Amino acid sequence: MTEDDVLAALGTVYDPELDEPITALRFVAACEVADSGAVDVRLRLPTPQCAPNFAYLMAADARDAVLALPGVGEVTVVLEDHYTGAEINAAVGRGAGFAEAFPGETAGQLGALRELFRRKALVARQGRLLETVAEPASARLGDLSGPDAERCRELRRALAIDASDEAPAFVRGDGTRVPAGELARFARMASLTATSLEANGGVCRSLLQVRYGMEEVAA
Amino acid sequence: MYEKDGEKYFVLDSHTHFWNASPENWVKGAEEYAKGWIECFHAYQGLGPPETHWSLEDFQKYSPERFEKDMFEDGHVDVAIFQPTYLKEWYAEGFNTVERDAEMAARHPDRLILNGRFDPRDGDPGLRQLEEDAERFGLKGVKLYTAEWNAGSRGYKLDAPICAPFFEKCLELGIKNVHVHKGPTIWPLDKDAFDVADVDKVATRYQELNFIVEHVGLPRIEDFCFMATQERNVYAGLAVVVGGLMHARPRFFAKVMGELLFWVGEDKMLFGADYAIWEPKWQVEGLVDWDYPDETYSDYPRWTTSAKKKVLGLNAAKLYGVEVPPELRLPVDEEPASREDSQLVESS
Repeated sequence: MTEDDVLAALGTVYDPELDEPITALRFVAACEVADSGAVDVRLRLPTPQCAPNFAYLMAADARDAVLALPGVGEVTVVLEDHYTGAEINAAVGRGAGFAEAFPGETAGQLGALRELFRRKALVARQGRLLETVAEPASARLGDLSGPDAERCRELRRALAIDASDEAPAFVRGDGTRVPAGELARFARMASLTATSLEANGGVCRSLLQVRYGMEEVAA
Repeated sequence: MYEKDGEKYFVLDSHTHFWNASPENWVKGAEEYAKGWIECFHAYQGLGPPETHWSLEDFQKYSPERFEKDMFEDGHVDVAIFQPTYLKEWYAEGFNTVERDAEMAARHPDRLILNGRFDPRDGDPGLRQLEEDAERFGLKGVKLYTAEWNAGSRGYKLDAPICAPFFEKCLELGIKNVHVHKGPTIWPLDKDAFDVADVDKVATRYQELNFIVEHVGLPRIEDFCFMATQERNVYAGLAVVVGGLMHARPRFFAKVMGELLFWVGEDKMLFGADYAIWEPKWQVEGLVDWDYPDETYSDYPRWTTSAKKKVLGLNAAKLYGVEVPPELRLPVDEEPASREDSQLVESS
């Protein structure tokens, strides 16, 4: 197992809010593999005040992704320079949930939050795919191709929405087909959601660059 | 006032600060948070043009003279509104209190407007403080930071029952404008702290109040825009949108401006420089010069001269009852810009 294997595993971990891999966002500050198979991952975020719930999800998902690698030893994931880093790192380190990280400050776990943002991400991705097909109302998922389409399939599977090639290409956040008469409205909403995610991703990239003195790279 | 190509613009900066984040003001034991907060703001400044960047030391605390120069001499600002942020858990005398703003405002009482604040978790003493502040400072607006930490709590929602007496008090005191700033935490922590659904509820309930959502609901622009189409009394504060995107991410800025003009409309958008994160000069000049980069943005409403005038000052002047010199007003009191397209979206 090499660092590249670990980075590939971390590439399957998405920022739930931005719907982009944490590796593409350059949130992985360092990654080391010892001879024993022990893995040490350091994560960094654009600001010390990034939302604790999303920060926790990325750290916990990163640990799970690395633990799934064959032959892996002890796994340490540390979120650096964050104002709730101590709470998050302690909980993630012992495989505890978000509620255990912040006792008394939550009403449950983070499943509902993650699901909400998967639905937003699905709408945003579809917004970019609408113009790639001639007849969106009758298009099938199999008609769509490219990275956005692949991610739509992943999101649909995660949300238990039909992701077969025969399924409707365009669905609302709740998984129901977008009727022909609603396409114009859906396109506007999807464009707005995509713009929001893209703008947030832009702000996050810019802040991370300033915070860690990094050079600009293509998004 | 800013003049360009024969057009004159009244500039009302709806979001400014006079803070003290220097180390002597950091609460013992909370230095990490106080330092992290101001360093985070300083990183945001890094998204503006390089020639406008300050050293961290200058940024932590700046003089009244520097404020005056950056706002009035260089920044084209006619009138500015102070938006306080207390953060007393982290800063001993507060980060940017109304008292501190008042010292600055006393030097220019006709050009600086003081907004107050409340924290519903302070209960009755908080209500009495709001009354005192309203009388002492003549408040017409308040700024609420829902992610503020307070005695073990990491935030609150505006539709929580504890907020109702404070909104009632605002009505009673003639405080009309409620600026809402969402942050990364609320209770419970597993909810999306940036969700604006609570603004929607209180905007419906308190029709006499105006709700200005700062940073256009960033990072929930989509939820904010959709909500703003449905609520007559909800406005978009542009602070951070201009400062954080216009220079650093011009194509995203163009899309965000296009979406805001489409969904929210030019009558409900308010310029705010968010000084001292960003100086107003480059933002005012940039907004007047700005247009969409190319024809791929042709679906969005145009950024006309009258839209610029409204957004840069006239809209906020209306909300705060600021008199605008006749030559800086629009020629006729135009009807609000048509939003037929977004109404089509709403009704379908």
